[in-house]
Amino acid sequence: MGNPMKIRAASKDGVTEVKVLISHEMETGQRKDSAGAVVPAWWIKELTAKHNDKIVLTSEIGSSVSKNPYLAFKFKGGAKGDKIVVTWVDNKGDTRTDEAAIA
Amino acid sequence: MSRFSKSILSLAFAAVATSAFAFETYKGIGRPATPAEIKAWDIDIRPDFKGLPKGAGSVSQGEVVFEEKCASCHGTFGESNEVFTPLVGGTTKDDIKTGHVKALASGDLPQRTTFTKVATISTLFDYIQRAMPWTSPKSLQPDEIYGILAYLLNLSEIVPADFVLSDKNIADIQKMMPNRNGMKTDHGMWPGAPASKGGIGNGGKPDVQAKACMKNCKTEVLIGSIMPDYARNAHGNLEDQNRNFGPVRGVKTGESTVSAPKNSPELEMATISGCMACHGLNNKIVGPGYNEIQLRYKDQTDAEDRLSRKVRAGGQGAWGSIPMPANEHVKDADAKTLVKWILSGAK
Repeated sequence: MGNPMKIRAASKDGVTEVKVLISHEMETGQRKDSAGAVVPAWWIKELTAKHNDKIVLTSEIGSSVSKNPYLAFKFKGGAKGDKIVVTWVDNKGDTRTDEAAIA
Repeated sequence: MSRFSKSILSLAFAAVATSAFAFETYKGIGRPATPAEIKAWDIDIRPDFKGLPKGAGSVSQGEVVFEEKCASCHGTFGESNEVFTPLVGGTTKDDIKTGHVKALASGDLPQRTTFTKVATISTLFDYIQRAMPWTSPKSLQPDEIYGILAYLLNLSEIVPADFVLSDKNIADIQKMMPNRNGMKTDHGMWPGAPASKGGIGNGGKPDVQAKACMKNCKTEVLIGSIMPDYARNAHGNLEDQNRNFGPVRGVKTGESTVSAPKNSPELEMATISGCMACHGLNNKIVGPGYNEIQLRYKDQTDAEDRLSRKVRAGGQGAWGSIPMPANEHVKDADAKTLVKWILSGAK
């Protein structure tokens, strides 16, 4: 299930800017713990963002992205009050969806 | 309390009773500070909330102010590492219970943040009121600061989204600060009496022990290495680069290159308008240096007009991802003067 994402979306002059702060370990699978055992890989592999029901962003990301990643993007359209839904799926099959309204 | 400090105390009372007391000691020099001057200077807010102004602000009010005045440097979620270290992150629900940020000890933290370190919420209020925003410090109203703090507390998951922070409940929030028990007092930096006598520090005892050498001591000082002659002046005359008062002076390594600086009226204007907080004459600070700006725009005839609009409206992208905030307090004519000055070499 993971921890909730923080999402802000603001529309200005017909362009909506979405900012997302994701809470995730993003473990690369390259690190070893103090006992020398490899820390298993654990990262987000897919992320999609929807404006109402329309997909506006899909991305395949991987182990090179930092812990608790920050993502910002813009798309044309979007009006105040519309719904922005962001979903991620990680390599363990865990998934999380959060939504926010455009301000 | 020792007899000595008692006599100091009674002196202090005497000074308060007759405010001209200290003043008359130095005849013809200065004048007593007026109550208004003291009030303007006395803005500190202490951990027991002495000096805290009355007011209140909600998370959602704070979000609006933060987005407008703070987010350009600190990021919308206080997460940005671009200009300053992040404000928020690294704290857990468990830390809020224990008052110790576990990640500081375990090293399980990509980056230390303000909320992992700061022990007292009064410090945050004091600092924001005193020093923020970077370009126009002391401009925020108490209610705005309460709002900003409420927003930051919400981002740190200390308070819910509908929370309203005020001078009434800020003491309760202090009891939830993640690193409230993380502050060590057992060192010599605290003024006043040691903890054993009712104070908080160790009474000002330094943590170095300069023990006198009693046997097998060295009799003369040998200098192990010195800079070769050709390298002594490699960084310019060191005498110019150190203060000409105080215990440490720079050694004269070459010809002095410093002539008494005289500031141009445009530089004064840029300093007063807050430009110099982020732009250097010949170096990048947060934004680009004026020499870089001149270099890029010198052949563009319309640059003067465009840039003076940009000074007032702000912008992002031309010099990297760090945005420049809008500067509506700069008058149109002043912005034109400043841009003309920058494009002609900013001296």
